[in-house]
Amino acid sequence: MSQQRKMWIGLALIVSMPSIPARAQSADQNGRQLDQKIQELQKQVDELDQRVKIAERNKELKDEEAATRAKNAASATADTGGFTIKSNDGDFLLKIGADLQVDNRAFVGDGSALGADTILLRRVRPTFSGTVFKYVDYYFRPDFGQGTTVIYDAYLELKYFRAAKVRVGKFKPPVGLERLQSDDDTSFVERGMPTLLAPSRDIGYQISGDVVPQRVNYSVGVFNGVPDNGLSDVAVSSHRDYAARLFLTPFAGAAGNPLSGLGFGSGISSGGVDGIALPAYKTFGQTTFFTFAPGVGSAGHRTRLSPQGYYYLGPFGILAEYTLTEEGFKKGLVQRDIAFRAWQVAATFIVTGEKKAFTSPTPKKSFDPAKHGWGALELAARVGDFSAEKGIYTYGFANSATTPRHAHEVVGGVNWYLNRLLRISLDYGNTNFGGGGAVGNRLSERVLITRFQVNFI
Amino acid sequence: MKLISFLIVAAVSVSLAAGAIRLLNVSYDPTRELYQNINAAFVKQWKAKTGVDLVISQSHGGSGSQARSVIEGLQADVVTLALAYDIDAIADKAGLLPKNWQGRFPDNSAPYTSTIVFLVRKGDPKRIKDWNDLVRPGISVIMPNPKTSGGARWNYLAAWGYALRQSNNDESKAKDFVARLYHNVPVLDSGARGSTTTFVQRGIGDVLVGWENEAFLALNELGKDKLELVVPSVSILAEPPVAVVDKIAARHGTAAVAKAYLEFLYSPEGQEIAARNYYRPRSKEVAAKYDSQFPHLALFTVDEVFGGWQKAQKKHFEEGGTFDQIYQPGR
Repeated sequence: MSQQRKMWIGLALIVSMPSIPARAQSADQNGRQLDQKIQELQKQVDELDQRVKIAERNKELKDEEAATRAKNAASATADTGGFTIKSNDGDFLLKIGADLQVDNRAFVGDGSALGADTILLRRVRPTFSGTVFKYVDYYFRPDFGQGTTVIYDAYLELKYFRAAKVRVGKFKPPVGLERLQSDDDTSFVERGMPTLLAPSRDIGYQISGDVVPQRVNYSVGVFNGVPDNGLSDVAVSSHRDYAARLFLTPFAGAAGNPLSGLGFGSGISSGGVDGIALPAYKTFGQTTFFTFAPGVGSAGHRTRLSPQGYYYLGPFGILAEYTLTEEGFKKGLVQRDIAFRAWQVAATFIVTGEKKAFTSPTPKKSFDPAKHGWGALELAARVGDFSAEKGIYTYGFANSATTPRHAHEVVGGVNWYLNRLLRISLDYGNTNFGGGGAVGNRLSERVLITRFQVNFI
Repeated sequence: MKLISFLIVAAVSVSLAAGAIRLLNVSYDPTRELYQNINAAFVKQWKAKTGVDLVISQSHGGSGSQARSVIEGLQADVVTLALAYDIDAIADKAGLLPKNWQGRFPDNSAPYTSTIVFLVRKGDPKRIKDWNDLVRPGISVIMPNPKTSGGARWNYLAAWGYALRQSNNDESKAKDFVARLYHNVPVLDSGARGSTTTFVQRGIGDVLVGWENEAFLALNELGKDKLELVVPSVSILAEPPVAVVDKIAARHGTAAVAKAYLEFLYSPEGQEIAARNYYRPRSKEVAAKYDSQFPHLALFTVDEVFGGWQKAQKKHFEEGGTFDQIYQPGR
């Protein structure tokens, strides 16, 4: 009998004593009544004891259930990675991010007549991404910048087989290296010349994965087909564009190996272009320098080839890319294939010592002067070149008096990463042209672009 | 031929290089001790036979909850659950194994059986002898929740089957009987092991209704001076089934070892281990050897009384089924 139970019985006896008529009963009767009373009280105490234990056990079970529910409950976080809602097992995930870029373009020199000084919202892109049912990733990213609404990315990716992820929807076809780099990670406010010849976004199917984890990556896909540097939501004909890319990082992850930051490969695409919109090529300052003559249309076939590579070592990085596009054009009865070539070599150096990579650096110390934190500072320089073969004039596909067939750019810039999300960039670009003037060459374009960028995805 | 040989050697080499083979057995609540013993014996046998190290992990919980976990992604190479319906659910809802899984091992893939008995306090102070004693007013009965526990569903059906026999198959009387029974249940644990804890360790209730093997285990652990086994006049033949979860095993490359593991349960050694853990063996030889260990009572099957697990589940345990109609939580 527990101490608690004995105490209950004792107390009950004391309380009940006065009710026993001591003088009228014999000792035996008194004893029997007392025993009976004790038994009744014992029963009551047992019942009370059971009730207490049952209540305690039920509370224990409820607590266990609540703990299990809490363990399995979804979590919501808000940090430098954006806003995230995630199921406990990680099988369901929603990330809400955003990319906001505010640019100031200031043209200098005689060539500035083609571009107007402006402050603009270059990109305004909310991002919704995540996972459903563990194996299906999704990504949705519209853009409201520059007064337009465009769906840039909208796709699902089945990642059950890591070596063969299946992506469907609208996304970047696997051709250009710098194009595949997120605009948050590029070292310059505008991309280089080879990216002018690569597709921007297209709708299609793609299978990709690592043949050798982290070292050999492939992508193959079939797409509607879009103009160079273009995007579209519909196919203009039944032709399709087939794209593939193989990229190797043979020493990735090899700690201490100076070649661990080496990556190289090539992208390629091929497909019909009948009826497809004509491309228009822009300078670093985003003025259009190359347009086709009236009456010209795409016809026949287009092939792109883009050998590419990068090398990162400590704070130093270099990215090089070459793109050849050979595409059929038609004007009247004349139909010819014209080759466009572009290349760039870009070098960067992070003065504050952070490690440079294909993705943007995270400052060792975020900007916080009170704590001697100034962020990360990066210097960047790029040389690039674009050319169309001479036939572009010969066959009347472009007007030599208004459209240069050659452009050469030199860009220098500074990037200040205040923290993982906020970046301020200042780039100066000079573009010289070959042809495109009424007499001789079009005047050079010189532009100073500053950018304030907030990005979290 | 050379190519095939090369591929086999390469596959074996890769397996060996990757270290021990790992197997996950997702089981129900009271089989912990059984599979600890089975695993130790099978790992030893597998090593001797193939030279390959094997690590078998166990996961235990209410049978229904365990089945849901597998459906939702728990990487079970094999399942050894309390009742066929839970494995049917894995086949139906997740398609991880074929619907005819039950025909792939002998005895409907149930290598051992058990039944439902009572455990009471020493001296049987409430004089509980049979199912009808459980519905007397003032009797406190401890059983788990049929919504989460396979054992609890066996309890429920055993009581229902008894009531049908007593009432000449009058369903309404059976329903009333089972309703009165659950009226006497103050605590519904999620699994059989939890109910044992409630009754034995927390000292709650007059009688524990549950697996025969669990009752023997409690008697051995707590002592026969505190508890007594009560064998009802009639009970249900519980047939806990086992199955290889084909798609997961194939993904893990463990299909062969998983099959061998379950076949081991039917071997003389596996049957001996089952009997020693108070599961009734299928093997006649082993059953004869342990005959005195198991009480003799009339047993009926789910198929005989309820027309199979699918029908029983739908009628009694689905949302809005009989159990939902008769059980009022927080009475």
